[in-house]
Amino acid sequence: MQTLDITDNQQPKHQDPFLVIDNVSKVYPTPRGPYVVLQDVNLTVYEGEFICVIGHSGCGKSTLLNMVAGFNRPSSGEICLKSKPILRPGPDRMVVFQNYSLLPWMTAFENVLLAVKQVYKDKSKEEKVKIAKDSLAMVGLTEAMHKKPKQLSGGMRQRVSIARALSIRPEVLILDEPFGALDVMTREELQEELLAIWREHKVTALMITHEIDEALFLADRIVMMSNGPAANIAEIIDVPFARPRNRKALADDPRYYSLRNYILEFLYSRFALADDAE
Amino acid sequence: MNFEFSTEPLPNRKMSTAFLEIDHVSRVFENDRGQPFVAIKDVYFEMKEGEFVSIIGHSGCGKSTVLNILSGLDRATEGGIVLEGREVREPGPDRMLVFQNHSLLPWLTVRQNIGLAVNRVMRNLSREERNRIIQENIDLVGLSHAADKYPREISGGMKQRVGIARALAIKPKILLLDEPFGALDALTRGRLQEKLMQICDEHKISAVMITHDVDEALLLSDRIVMMTNGPEAKIGQVLTVELPHPRKRLETVNHPNYYRLRGEIVSFLDRQKQIKLDRLKMKSNAAISMGSIEKTNLTIGYIPLTDCAPFVMAKEKGLFAKYGLDVTLSKETSWNDLAEGIREGRLDAAQMVTGLPLAITLGMGNKIPVPVVTSLTLSRNGNAITLSKKLQEAGVHDLASLKTYIDSFQNAYNPALGMVHHASMHNFMLRHWLASSGIQPDKDVDVIVIPPPQMVSNLMANNIIGYCVGEPWNVRAVDSNVGFVVATDLDIWHGHPEKVLGVRKEWAEQYPHTHLALVKALLEACQFCEPADNRDEIVLMLSQPQYLNLSPVYIRPGFAGPYRVSTMEAKYYKDFCQFGVGNMPSRKEQLWVLTQMARWGLVNFPENHAEVIYNLLATDIYQQAARELNLDITEEDREAIAFTDGSTFDLSDPIAALHSMPYSQFTEPLHFDPVKGFANKKVSAVRQ
Repeated sequence: MQTLDITDNQQPKHQDPFLVIDNVSKVYPTPRGPYVVLQDVNLTVYEGEFICVIGHSGCGKSTLLNMVAGFNRPSSGEICLKSKPILRPGPDRMVVFQNYSLLPWMTAFENVLLAVKQVYKDKSKEEKVKIAKDSLAMVGLTEAMHKKPKQLSGGMRQRVSIARALSIRPEVLILDEPFGALDVMTREELQEELLAIWREHKVTALMITHEIDEALFLADRIVMMSNGPAANIAEIIDVPFARPRNRKALADDPRYYSLRNYILEFLYSRFALADDAE
Repeated sequence: MNFEFSTEPLPNRKMSTAFLEIDHVSRVFENDRGQPFVAIKDVYFEMKEGEFVSIIGHSGCGKSTVLNILSGLDRATEGGIVLEGREVREPGPDRMLVFQNHSLLPWLTVRQNIGLAVNRVMRNLSREERNRIIQENIDLVGLSHAADKYPREISGGMKQRVGIARALAIKPKILLLDEPFGALDALTRGRLQEKLMQICDEHKISAVMITHDVDEALLLSDRIVMMTNGPEAKIGQVLTVELPHPRKRLETVNHPNYYRLRGEIVSFLDRQKQIKLDRLKMKSNAAISMGSIEKTNLTIGYIPLTDCAPFVMAKEKGLFAKYGLDVTLSKETSWNDLAEGIREGRLDAAQMVTGLPLAITLGMGNKIPVPVVTSLTLSRNGNAITLSKKLQEAGVHDLASLKTYIDSFQNAYNPALGMVHHASMHNFMLRHWLASSGIQPDKDVDVIVIPPPQMVSNLMANNIIGYCVGEPWNVRAVDSNVGFVVATDLDIWHGHPEKVLGVRKEWAEQYPHTHLALVKALLEACQFCEPADNRDEIVLMLSQPQYLNLSPVYIRPGFAGPYRVSTMEAKYYKDFCQFGVGNMPSRKEQLWVLTQMARWGLVNFPENHAEVIYNLLATDIYQQAARELNLDITEEDREAIAFTDGSTFDLSDPIAALHSMPYSQFTEPLHFDPVKGFANKKVSAVRQ
């Protein structure tokens, strides 16, 4: 591997651990005996970081993020947010999925308002409406907010999902391949918007992706998973590019191609998936 | 590069011997209101048997329309498809289509799904024979372990393999792939691409694939056809993918050409995206005039290198404004992009490598000639040749030891050296330097184009043994301890022109006062950039994110202080970067450039070279600007150019000079017509 030790801009060092995944394993019972999805996973995430998780299908990355979201509990080990163990889903952690999971009979505005209502029970109606509208404005959907999902493009629906997730001010934003179903132009546009929102809201982000370019553009660190069963974190890459990031500037940076090829080598050689392992 | 403008009717088209010909196809639909909508217009290309061609473009560019017409599912409004000499009008088993959604029958197993197609098309074969073919194709796509599973029991990637096996089983003449892997995640897609590449390499399959995935197109294709946005979508560029076969992803991405080719496609798509966005915003590039200035709002292209200083300082010091111009500086990704920007009129003017005005004017690389003029030489010197640290460890320290190294080089490939553009001084000087020691470019070493920012990573990956480039890219290799500077341009041609200003001739004629104002602003900026006292201020300006986005540490060496030739050694070069010296466009320098372009087979040498050079130089504009700025104007002398190695270039007889240059590929001069190009195009096939 070629390492470039040219660091134009050192990231400031983070202080206290924010989200700690401590020796987490996940085992499912099956008729043929226990199936180990994840084994002894350790990861410390600092406040405000953007982490991308990359690995082949079946490497347990969704399982890991589901446990952070609280949809699922580790078989052993624990996950703590600000030193408190995560036991169930909560408004401090919001998830955005690839399939937009918006309620089809509600408008964009109503979808967002629903989330706001569930979390901010003690706020006045006006306040709740304002929060929902501000969130939609943040993703540039003010004009389309009274449309139903069916009337919106894929990119716009995903914007509604992001607005809904951020409307309740979570501390951790969990994104499970949010842009996988979008065309390249829309995907790039949404990546840029997501970064702008992330900067402004200083939310900690954990995102699953299969796209190397997406991970290099978004992440502070890229977590690369080994293949299952008993998957683990094989390697973590620090992404050295200064922020705010600009796609063109990245294309000018020699480190970009070294890192890109390094990750390709990881995925297609060192941790390549066998032909029949699908 | 090798772009063909396929919309251009080819002169003297002989009887087609192509395997597949898409012959000037247009398709007009009717929209809701009954008005005609031209989806694609005059699409023309040919392909050979066994060739893999991808069509890439943004959604709505009509690429699916092309494929539908190819498959026979749709008909061209004008033009047609010819496969092996016969017109194609209906679907047939000679063309098999693989879609994104695999459309397998859910109640049949993998084997039965493939069998269905084989049994229908190959009815005349025996049952055993058919079963053998079915099994062969199951094995081919690596599905032996799942042959008797039902579609619901297998993953999306596996279903797509069934689709491919089913298409290949009936041995079509051509495989048509419509975003075959579009619905899969990036990594599954990656693995299937590699599988398909392996199959195509082994079985020499002819295929046309629609995709929007740049890496997919590069891995699989021999040629990539890039389409412009619709309506009236057409072929914008055709890229030949010169990557060795058999291809494997990791070897491919580490090939020195890979990221250059990728960059070409990405920037084509970016340009199309920008056009699309501009169209939405109804943005126009209409001229805004003020006083005598015909157009005040200008977009000027530059490449973020240290020697873009005059543009940055003219902007930051308010010199553009002083002369009534409102300039937007457009940072370009590659010289090729910048050249396209001038050709298309996206850019009003641009910083250019010295040979670029001639290259665009002559239509180098099989392009339509677009006359360009240059009215200012912006900088002199500033380049260096860096070699890999590995060569230093092998005892290379100068040109002679490099020759020894190259002579003893034992590998399947030639060693390669990088440079930034075929028409750049880097290319000409690197070749001159190599040739002077008996190293023959293109035979003993390959000289390849790599965008400056990718030089260091290619050097580290051992894709190239060295390169010739401007700063800060030599300094960065030295600083990362991966390379050393073996020569600077002071060791080759002290005082050579490096960057010039270029505008389209048509533009210069349309906006003469704007042109003059631009030259004045830049000439004043060049004068500002020359004194050593101003250099520290310039370094800070250049280092800003919107320009070089780089620590001053990398900009300063050679520009505002000693130059570092290795981690151990720094030298002080007084003339390493000159801006305020010899700014008048030079006839003899451009003539030398023209001879080099012919010497290395990039263009023919024009019989009427004096006329070509005369039309190229806007000396009158320069002189007017210099007079108004109270600068001395001296007419150019006619003395020969003297190189550091003792050779000279006598401009009184360029054709004799061309004949006497070592390794010259020049044969005979041809007449050049500014509109029609060279009288005979046969030599202009550029090996790139």
